[in-house]
Amino acid sequence: MAQTVRLDLHMHTTVSDGTDTPEQLPEKVRKAGLRLFSVTDHDAVKACRILRDTLTEADPAFITGVEFSCRDEEGKYHILGYGYDPETEAVQRVVRTGHGFRMKKVRARLDFLKTEFGFTFPEEDLAELFEQDNPGKPHIGNLMVKYGYAPTKEKAITEYINKVRFRSEYVRPEEAIRGILGSGGIPVLAHPAFGSGDELIVGEEMDARLKRLTAMGLQGVEAFYSGFTPKLIRQMLEYADACGLYVTAGSDYHGTNKLIPLGDTGVDGTMDWPEGLHRFVEEIQGRTIYGGKI
Amino acid sequence: MSEHEAGAVTFALKGRIDSLNAPEMERQLMEQLAGRADAPVEIDASELQYISSAGLRVLLRVKKTNPDMTITGVNSDVYEVLDMTGFTELMTVEKAYRTVSVEGCEEIGRGANGTIYRIDRDNVVKVYNNPDALEDIQHEREVARLALVLGIPTAISYDVVKVGDSYGSVFELLNASSFSKILATEPERMDWCVKEYVDMLRKIHGTLVPEGKLPDVRLTALGWAEFMRDYLPEEAGAKLVALVEAVPHDDHMIHGDYHTKNLELQNDEVLLIDMDTLAVGHPIFELASIYNSFVGYSEYDHEVIRRFQGFDRETGVTFWRKSLAAYLGTANEMKLREVEDKARVVGYTRMIRRSIRRRGLETPEGRAEIDLWKSELLELLERVDALTFDPDELELEAVVENLPYVQEFIDSHLEKTGCPPRAQMQIGLAAEEIFVNIASYAYAPEKGRAKVRVEVSGDPVTVTITFLDRGMPYDPLQKEDPDVTLPAEERDIGGLGILLTKKTMDDVAYEYRDGQNILTLKKKI
Repeated sequence: MAQTVRLDLHMHTTVSDGTDTPEQLPEKVRKAGLRLFSVTDHDAVKACRILRDTLTEADPAFITGVEFSCRDEEGKYHILGYGYDPETEAVQRVVRTGHGFRMKKVRARLDFLKTEFGFTFPEEDLAELFEQDNPGKPHIGNLMVKYGYAPTKEKAITEYINKVRFRSEYVRPEEAIRGILGSGGIPVLAHPAFGSGDELIVGEEMDARLKRLTAMGLQGVEAFYSGFTPKLIRQMLEYADACGLYVTAGSDYHGTNKLIPLGDTGVDGTMDWPEGLHRFVEEIQGRTIYGGKI
Repeated sequence: MSEHEAGAVTFALKGRIDSLNAPEMERQLMEQLAGRADAPVEIDASELQYISSAGLRVLLRVKKTNPDMTITGVNSDVYEVLDMTGFTELMTVEKAYRTVSVEGCEEIGRGANGTIYRIDRDNVVKVYNNPDALEDIQHEREVARLALVLGIPTAISYDVVKVGDSYGSVFELLNASSFSKILATEPERMDWCVKEYVDMLRKIHGTLVPEGKLPDVRLTALGWAEFMRDYLPEEAGAKLVALVEAVPHDDHMIHGDYHTKNLELQNDEVLLIDMDTLAVGHPIFELASIYNSFVGYSEYDHEVIRRFQGFDRETGVTFWRKSLAAYLGTANEMKLREVEDKARVVGYTRMIRRSIRRRGLETPEGRAEIDLWKSELLELLERVDALTFDPDELELEAVVENLPYVQEFIDSHLEKTGCPPRAQMQIGLAAEEIFVNIASYAYAPEKGRAKVRVEVSGDPVTVTITFLDRGMPYDPLQKEDPDVTLPAEERDIGGLGILLTKKTMDDVAYEYRDGQNILTLKKKI
């Protein structure tokens, strides 16, 4: 078997909901002993563009990444893309679509809070909110706390923001998968057993889900994930094996926003890698790698 | 280490934990765990209603910093989630159980691992002997589910409860009555009970179990036999182990504790209960356990069966004999005795081991009982050469007095094939000739055993009857090679009979192989 390397292919920067800037992250990755990493901000490729331009030979090896929030009639998914070219129209179109839907939703929420509860915010705060790459419920919640409408962000969300549900527009999984493939990337299902993050999908439901997504062009599953028990990892590896999918490993590091350490993926340094992970690393070595060598 | 560091960190989870409040729970937990890496953590989940994957992640995170982690008071819904996601294999997870009292409840069944009580009209609880029985309960649920999937009617537990210091599993059993109760109160229904009991037994033994799903009873029995080596003369011990070892692997189901308290009549349906001993293996191991239940355990103290089954020893012995006959499909006393002897070899082995392990050797009654069983076992080990049995084969002592059993055995087989009376008579005469020959000369002046096998096959239908004995090598077909050790007049009679046999049969063949005289008669019918 080929050589193994410490890696973490799932982390967030301030471009989405992490707390490290794209500039701060490589040093932390290096200190965590990782030799290969990727940044997967929600619906955004900005951090990857920055890293592409700033990483040097001395940094750990880096491949581009992204995490698209998707939805269709069957459910919600987070779809990761790896090794794509961020300058191509295919991936940028998905980013634009996602961002557009997100902005529409933020405006609708702000309208709702204003008409329903009379909550308003100063122009400069709103401008700052709209400038963010990835604004959402937590950002609005923070603003509500700042202006005394709610005692905590959580209460702001449960007691006010969540009082209305929109028939929201979402990027569909096939759009995300097509966008990633069209930009030369590899589409991978993030934390499969947890659905879009807070569900529990196992057994037949998981089977059906993977069947649908692989038919759309999905090529891998994030079988190693910080939130997975050994049993869940085993199950995901079985799916990967059965469907001939790549295997990836990610922590979902968010800086201080979540208490997940960098590199906590469930890949044990001493274990033999599953074949799907070897294949994935081999495959990305044929694509563009930034920073140092693997 | 300070006192503070030595103690466990306890943390209570309440209500719902999902992505919204999981970060707050995480913050609080981490605060408590700050500087206490590796301290034992006890999560009290008795007020936890629901936990989503966001909450599970936090628990996993804690587990990574503090590996010694326990979750207690988990409700069934949360337990299912923890089980599905592999948390139950990662840490100690204790379920919350409702408490049930069995005081004053009717005992309706008793098995190797527990006692079954009726707690109300529709429900029964099986209370496990082992106070640490959660794994046993899980096992029984799994095997009961497997049995049901494979077509065996059984009740599956729907809840686990706490009964005193033990655990119990609760089943729905509506308006049911055990076969033991029926036998005790309605003796006139004996034959009906036997029929239903044997039908179910055949169904169990006819059920093929996917490999690896159930333990192999042969390996268990091998353990019993090995145990007995310390308590038997060397040769007898070695033979016992060899007998069990020689039983071929069998992937058909056996119940393992198939007595009439474990068979319930619910409305008009017969249900099997107490499934925790389910295994795969040769039916002889089942018959051994059945023998013990109805005969063996009460051989020394005849009252044992009344205490256990609620009926007397006579009923037990009759039920065993009738059931064995129905199971084997024969009333042939020799055939029944042959299989019973094989069952007793395993049965005594099991009872003696059980009694010794329960300190049976420490009381005079215990020793007397063990001695009785042991003398029976030693006697059996002298003459039983295999534990397997074949419905088409009869093994018996080769003495002329046993001729009627041989004839009955052959006749009952021929009758099933619709054999013409003339052919049946010819076969009967030929068989008589051969068997009397063996009985008279094979082991003379000692006594020995013989086997008769009846096979019906092919087109045209051909009956093949094979006689096997381990006596001195002798080919009765070689008339010109008579045994000179025998008196002349006996030789003549034998010779005449053989001539007749050759004339009426389509083929008569002899061979001596593996220390056995093998004589085969073939007749097209």
